[in-house]
Amino acid sequence: MKDDHNILVALIAVLAPFSLLSVGGGSAIIPGLQHQAVDIQKWITAEQFVEMFAVARAAPGPGTMLSTLIGWKVAGWAGALVATLALMMPSALLCYGVFRLSNHHSEKKWNRALRKGLAPVGVGLSIAGSMTLFRLVGGGFAAAFITAVSTMLLMLRPNMSAIVVLGFGAVLTVLMRMPI
Amino acid sequence: MSDNESEVPTARSIDRVGEGPTIARLVLFCLKVGLMSFGGGLSGWLYREFVQRRGWMTDEDFASSFAFAQMLPGPTITNLTICCCSRFTGSVGVLACCLALLVGPFFAVLGLYTVYGTLSHNPVFQAISDGVVFAAIGMLMIICIRGIRRTIAFPPGLAVIAGTAFCVGVLHWPMLPVVLCFAAISVTLAWRTL
Repeated sequence: MKDDHNILVALIAVLAPFSLLSVGGGSAIIPGLQHQAVDIQKWITAEQFVEMFAVARAAPGPGTMLSTLIGWKVAGWAGALVATLALMMPSALLCYGVFRLSNHHSEKKWNRALRKGLAPVGVGLSIAGSMTLFRLVGGGFAAAFITAVSTMLLMLRPNMSAIVVLGFGAVLTVLMRMPI
Repeated sequence: MSDNESEVPTARSIDRVGEGPTIARLVLFCLKVGLMSFGGGLSGWLYREFVQRRGWMTDEDFASSFAFAQMLPGPTITNLTICCCSRFTGSVGVLACCLALLVGPFFAVLGLYTVYGTLSHNPVFQAISDGVVFAAIGMLMIICIRGIRRTIAFPPGLAVIAGTAFCVGVLHWPMLPVVLCFAAISVTLAWRTL
């Protein structure tokens, strides 16, 4: 029982700092996480890490849910829960704090300039994000076609439910990949 | 619907779905987003819900929150959820939204891990998860298209959009310095127009 407790503390101590380092969506901390979990703490083997990375990428949710799997391997349900929160909470608290602080002054001139100035940067990042996602899923004709169709659907039918559009993408991809 | 009036959401909220953002509605929404967020990139869904369908936020508020969410550490989708939801609810509500966002992925990633080897190599599962991502890129494209349209009258803004997209998306430069650099230029430009 004492050991269980210690391992949970160790999970927090190792993972929480990574939370504040995960700038840019989390892929930046993967090498560091691997070094800690595999080489230093020896929680998992290198092969297990690669497998967990693949699973976290395939499953819904942020890629950093990889920590959930590490925690699960090390200490079961409690480990999974603690590891998830350790990697999610610090960055979430920081974001909440900073946002609240800046929103509090939303009518000040500097704040309006900040919002107005950040908007085009955000649009640029969503273009970059589309490109990255496109590459990540392998690109190709099916990807371009379905992306184009769903963009058109969303433009023409602003009230269409997102689930329907996502489901449509899934069904169409299954059909397009089916051997005839 | 007319896209170029997107700066004044109140004037065109007649064709919008539903009413105000209650905690229950936000939590339910986060639960859905979490469950469907294969491969990340569901920021487009938040845009669709908060800006396009419900009219709870302006385009500019969303786009600036999006840049903000990416600059700070942590998954973009979590940070963006926090920024969007904390406009309408207190700390407890935001916490509930975050947990709702993560509860689906939590069980999904553990479930997938236990059946790894059978399901993740299954071509149908692969096709489904890829297909969801393809459609999600479409939702991101809407942010891009409407953002460009909104900025078209202000060429320096267009240059910021193009520069950010090019440096991060094509050249793969580290995001944080690029964003800080363009944000500094862009905020200075915005300051002078106010």
